[in-house]
Amino acid sequence: MTLHRSAQRTEETEELPQKVHIIQGQYHVSDQPSVVLMTLLGSCVAACIHDPLARVGGMNHFLLPGADRDTNTREAERYGVHLMELLVNGLLQRGARKDRLQAKLFGGARTLERLSDIGRQNSIFAERFLKTEGITYLGGSCGGESGRRLQFWPVSGRARQAMIAGKEVPIVVPPPAPHVDGDVEFF
Amino acid sequence: MPFASAIRAIIVDDQLTSRALIRDGLQQLGIQDIEQAGDGEQGLKALLQKPAHLVISDLNMPKLDGLQFLQAVRAHPSTQKAAFIMLTGRGDRALIERAIKLGVNNYLVKPFTIPVLKGAIEAVFGKLK
Repeated sequence: MTLHRSAQRTEETEELPQKVHIIQGQYHVSDQPSVVLMTLLGSCVAACIHDPLARVGGMNHFLLPGADRDTNTREAERYGVHLMELLVNGLLQRGARKDRLQAKLFGGARTLERLSDIGRQNSIFAERFLKTEGITYLGGSCGGESGRRLQFWPVSGRARQAMIAGKEVPIVVPPPAPHVDGDVEFF
Repeated sequence: MPFASAIRAIIVDDQLTSRALIRDGLQQLGIQDIEQAGDGEQGLKALLQKPAHLVISDLNMPKLDGLQFLQAVRAHPSTQKAAFIMLTGRGDRALIERAIKLGVNNYLVKPFTIPVLKGAIEAVFGKLK
């Protein structure tokens, strides 16, 4: 097992950690020092974003739908953009400022050789999103062939990952495609 | 039946990536005259300078948020008739109800596909040519 520790480490709480598990398609924002956000990543990507001054942070966990199929990339990106936007908006609502946000990215592994490199497409998308939105990208750990067990402390911005064996890598569940005709209410 | 190419639109969203996706969607529907703004304040300024038929605005934005922007658009004589479509995330039901009271024409729940975007616009303007 390889242990990776991100560059930034600040004080953490003495309280018992309150573990919040994030699964694919979810995000969570917290300003509680006792909270640890946790996830398991294969080809999915988790963005961990933090405002060091407001001491608030959050994590999402996404997979671009259709990234493993020959679908319209722009359409696939809508889903990722949505989850990134939910995370950023959640941070701003808790007092973060966009110009202070710092991001780390994890995941995007090529866990199954027979599939196209979905993981890489996910991490390229996430990096491009951060660049376009002007969010500082501190780095992280993307790619490779192993899954990752990730922990993120939203208040300090500290992240820690452990590489995991192939059989433990979470199964990728395609996210629900946006409804084509069901979500609009006319009035 | 309006010509899509005759519609002037403005996209108001603080996320550049979202704006780019919506702009692409509108262009695919034939709407080419598209302005963009990063928040409600900029959006209102742009609308007053160049009125639009269609406003597509995010709900969560800095400065003037979507609801305040909608209120300002409806209050100003030169912009009050613009069709206003609000973009929202799931769970914003109470805010949508407030938007309806303030005069929103339609809303879209993110993430949405181009056919859904088209449906929302056509519900306001009629079938696009």
